[in-house]
Amino acid sequence: MLQTAFNGMVTGVIMTLPALAVTLLFGVLKFPNFAVGAMMTVAAYLAFALNAQLGWPLAPATAVAAGAMGVLCIGIDQVTFKPLRERGAITLMVASLGLGFILENLARFAYGNSARSFDLELARPFRLVGVRMNQEQMITIAVSAAAMLAMWVLLTRMPMGRAMRAVADNPSLAQVRGIETPRVIRWTWFIAGALLAVGGVLIGMDRALEPPMGSNYLISVFAAAILGGLGSPLGAFAGALVIGVVSELSTLVIAPNYRIGVPLVAIAVILVFRPQGLFGQPYIRK
Amino acid sequence: MISFLILMSIVICFSAILALALNFQWGLGGMVNFGLTGFYALGAYAAALLMLKGGANTFVATVGAMAIVAAACGLVAFVTLRVSEEDYFAIVTLGVGEMLRLMALNEDWLTKGALGLTGVPRPFGDAIAPQYYQYFLLALAVALLLATLWFLDRLARSPFGRLVRAVREDDVVAATLGKNVLWVRVRVFAIGGGIIGLAGSLHGFYYQYIDPTQFTNIVIAYAFMAVIAGGRGAHRGAIFGAAAVMLLLEGSRFAKDVIPALDSDQLAAIRLIIIGVGLIALLIYRPQGFFREYRLRANFK
Repeated sequence: MLQTAFNGMVTGVIMTLPALAVTLLFGVLKFPNFAVGAMMTVAAYLAFALNAQLGWPLAPATAVAAGAMGVLCIGIDQVTFKPLRERGAITLMVASLGLGFILENLARFAYGNSARSFDLELARPFRLVGVRMNQEQMITIAVSAAAMLAMWVLLTRMPMGRAMRAVADNPSLAQVRGIETPRVIRWTWFIAGALLAVGGVLIGMDRALEPPMGSNYLISVFAAAILGGLGSPLGAFAGALVIGVVSELSTLVIAPNYRIGVPLVAIAVILVFRPQGLFGQPYIRK
Repeated sequence: MISFLILMSIVICFSAILALALNFQWGLGGMVNFGLTGFYALGAYAAALLMLKGGANTFVATVGAMAIVAAACGLVAFVTLRVSEEDYFAIVTLGVGEMLRLMALNEDWLTKGALGLTGVPRPFGDAIAPQYYQYFLLALAVALLLATLWFLDRLARSPFGRLVRAVREDDVVAATLGKNVLWVRVRVFAIGGGIIGLAGSLHGFYYQYIDPTQFTNIVIAYAFMAVIAGGRGAHRGAIFGAAAVMLLLEGSRFAKDVIPALDSDQLAAIRLIIIGVGLIALLIYRPQGFFREYRLRANFK
């Protein structure tokens, strides 16, 4: 039970970074981006290429992949989403679906369908108050905590973070106050890309690298972001932990294959009882 | 070669029916269905299981599958649209579709899991000699496609169709005029679901064998591509789009003869990359598609 809860917490921690990326992207761009799963896959394979094929240690490989993914995301946005910005959420969602197909299948084209894993030194798992933890789980927790702290500093203490929150809150008011929206959008993509890259590597470390690895987490990540209130960074963090622990604990009661049902039910319950999420502001329709 | 063309025409027919269903839900109703693959699988499995386990005949099984998918779609629309706007609806349809696919894969007692269901009965399968059966199936598929087209054309031009378009264009105005927006949307999504169920049953009749690997991203990719290329809301456009996309997909089989270095996984990947690029390019450069939606016009003479 304690072990399951711990494993679930680690699953939740893995989802915090992608959930944060989803929530940032939604806040600034106002549409749910279905390509985030495939973006994680591509970034994980980038790190894999540097790590397993060029023999770099995983940490610098991940850092370079994160930077590259951030830049790539800015480029992707310029080519695909920028021309569609004024066309409404549904068009953008469909475009993101198409983008997801492209990215996931680029990974499949290059590396095939077989599962791969990072080149990582094995270490003996250790025990703490009867809970077995392995090295990967510790890395996951440490990296996610560091990234969350950095994001908190960015969003609350730095001008760019404040600008992002301002654009998320009210784009036209932000523009009137002299915030350059295109610049904020570029930064948002860069940060989201980097977060997704780290998230992708963590998923690859936890399970294995395969083309659908990112999309498999898509529903859970969206559920985490919705549970926390789309657009609320703190909420994304809490939502991810809750979804992770509850899905893992649910395997004690239901078949493990239906873990994905938990986030789905969570979405339904949230939508019925608290559409704005745990930390979100009530949505006012204009 | 003739046989290949006939089989291909059958595939185009049920792909076109699926595209019409998506076109109705999204193009006319404004509700985008990202769980299309899952609902399509639900239709195929429901029809096959009604026949194999329930002992129903092909007609009853098809109608049953249509009713089941319509009910599932209606329920999803009712639960989600009651409280939220389009963003959440898209996410929920995506999740439900994925869930349905997982059920097909994991409920071994019912669906035989990854092995799939074999020996799906066909309409008049015993009465018609095997060498002529493909002609009959083609005729049946064309007839059902035309019937679907006729039904949707009638619906789009009826007062109900007008109401659906009004809700799509501005739900607040429609609500202000005393229309029950939620109920309209639930009905549209359920009717679309029924048509998805029809396409799913035909899928089973054609392959006589269904397994989870038939219901992957490629289904949703080509349906969206067909609807966007055809023009949202244009029924004939959706049929044209489905035919064009299927010809492209099936034609790409021959790419393997030209470039032998590609394995089948890579070929499948290239297809989806092409569709993805095509989707985005069309959305950017030709968002209205190649056909026009029906519009009511005053006819002065």
